[in-house]
Amino acid sequence: MARLKEVTQSLHAPLMKEEKNPALVQKKLKVSMFWKVWNHKRAKYHLIFLFLFLVMGIFGPMIAPFDPNKPFYDALLQAPGKEHLLGTDALGRDVLSRLLYGTRVTLTVSILAAGITFVAGTLLGLISAYVGGIVDNILMRIMDILLALPSIILALAIVAVLGPSLTNAMIAVGVSSIPSFARLTRSAALTIKSSGYIEASRSIGSSHSWIIMRQFLPNITGVLVVYTTLFIGGAILDTAALSFIGLGAQPPAPEWGTMLSEGKNYIYEAWWLATFPGIAITVVVFVINDFGDVLRDIFDPKSVN
Amino acid sequence: MPSILKVKGLSTTFSGKHGDTTVVDGVDFELGKGEILGIVGESGCGKSVTSLSILQLLGKKGESSGVIQFNDMNLLEQSEKAMRGIRGRDISMIFQDPMSSLNPILTIGKQIGEMIEIHEEASGAERKLKVIGLLKKVGIPRAEEIYREYPHRLSGGMKQRVMIAMAIACNPAVLIADEPTTALDVTIQAQVLDLLKGLQKELNMSIILITHDLGVVAEMCDRVVVMYAGQVVETADTRTLLRSPKHPYAKGLVHSASLVSNENKRLNSIPGQVPLPGQFSSGCRFADRCEYVLDVCRRSQPSLSKLDKNTTCRCWLYGSKEAVQ
Repeated sequence: MARLKEVTQSLHAPLMKEEKNPALVQKKLKVSMFWKVWNHKRAKYHLIFLFLFLVMGIFGPMIAPFDPNKPFYDALLQAPGKEHLLGTDALGRDVLSRLLYGTRVTLTVSILAAGITFVAGTLLGLISAYVGGIVDNILMRIMDILLALPSIILALAIVAVLGPSLTNAMIAVGVSSIPSFARLTRSAALTIKSSGYIEASRSIGSSHSWIIMRQFLPNITGVLVVYTTLFIGGAILDTAALSFIGLGAQPPAPEWGTMLSEGKNYIYEAWWLATFPGIAITVVVFVINDFGDVLRDIFDPKSVN
Repeated sequence: MPSILKVKGLSTTFSGKHGDTTVVDGVDFELGKGEILGIVGESGCGKSVTSLSILQLLGKKGESSGVIQFNDMNLLEQSEKAMRGIRGRDISMIFQDPMSSLNPILTIGKQIGEMIEIHEEASGAERKLKVIGLLKKVGIPRAEEIYREYPHRLSGGMKQRVMIAMAIACNPAVLIADEPTTALDVTIQAQVLDLLKGLQKELNMSIILITHDLGVVAEMCDRVVVMYAGQVVETADTRTLLRSPKHPYAKGLVHSASLVSNENKRLNSIPGQVPLPGQFSSGCRFADRCEYVLDVCRRSQPSLSKLDKNTTCRCWLYGSKEAVQ
């Protein structure tokens, strides 16, 4: 051992100065990852859009012209115009302000619901794939049972148990997509389970947790990022749907799905009520889904150069 | 030569849907310190399973019995946790196919570094220096650049060098090389073998070289174990085995190799195939393919008997007794 160290050191004495700071090298690598996404033309637009969305979520309430819940009784169901840019609803509330406040809700949904799905789904999928055998069988059969129900029905059932509120809707949406996410993770992990480098890693004395964290996880990160992005789109839609049928955000909270639901009653008299939240949902979900597709192209390790 | 690894009566059985299958049956051999031991035999003779048994990498369905003595401990009695400490640090392994043995999305430097990270305390910078040193040691040019490369940018020979660098990272006492050159082309084979031999001398490792190429054996090994159908049929030093093989199977192997091919004639081959595990006869397992077969061969199994100090053979022709079954 000592000899090897000597040889190594003598060979690389000059090198030591050159790369003093490994943290710096690491940072460079992370930054280059961002540039890779940034340099992709489509991904760049998506990033800009999502950044604006984020800004709107954070600062929306500050730039909103009115209080979202303040009724203007002299301006009921007013069409989009100078004072109320996107019109007012049946109670005379400013649609633009409500949309801007709703951004924050949608943002929270994407983080919380998709977070629940991601953490639990990845964990279950990895354990199932890695342990295999009876554990895999039991876990996957449970997932099969849950998958037999459409996820929105499952979410409905969960809300029914927890009671209707926005937080519960997010939890329900998150939990209801765990089965499909776990299955996707599992199948991604299974493809690498039998590969030579897993055995090679075992042959150098890696522990189970090491193999899962250092061999499995990095290999499926790309896949996970892509799935998660797609699931965020789904989560936003599902939460909006739950709110639409009155089991999510409760009025008068400004939420896109709730707004859509309130707007549907006036669809003939006041088209702007349902249209603008609908467009908002569609655009955000579309961008996130397409961003997921682009990320898949970027994260495929074989497409590197 | 003091022995460092002693395998006695190693049997490995896999349980399956249709009952248990014994793939390795009563294998004995010894590995001396600083020795290169060859294990040869056709495909399906249990060579690889023997090596996986030593490291206890058989998976859930495989079960070994017998004794594998390494540094005063029986590896078969060690816990999984203790084995993890031994794998890579004391006994490491190189696999046949370097293409699939490297994780495609980790850089070369990171993968070799993991070996050091698992077994030794070293800071990130120290580790990097050591890895680059190892890469240079195994003859990889532009080591600093390769450190940051991904496996798919490397050729097969380079990948196998990387695997070797990983295997020797913690100065193991024993290196098991499972057909390390099978997936490589001939000129690269010679380079990799030279490298292994050089490293063996330099680091004073013992190597178990699993191969079916007698040319490789002639080049590298001090002693050879010939395996057939899960059993050892002959052990001898390389010179003796190649000049005067005893067991008919060993004879067949030597004669079917084109070691001296100045005559333009067809290569010899051994007729028939290795019987599948689970379908072994109660007599000598080679009897059906043997040109010297006797009545006794079909009736009962010969034991591994000692011919002289270095040679053992499992054959009725060489005074074997009836094996205890």
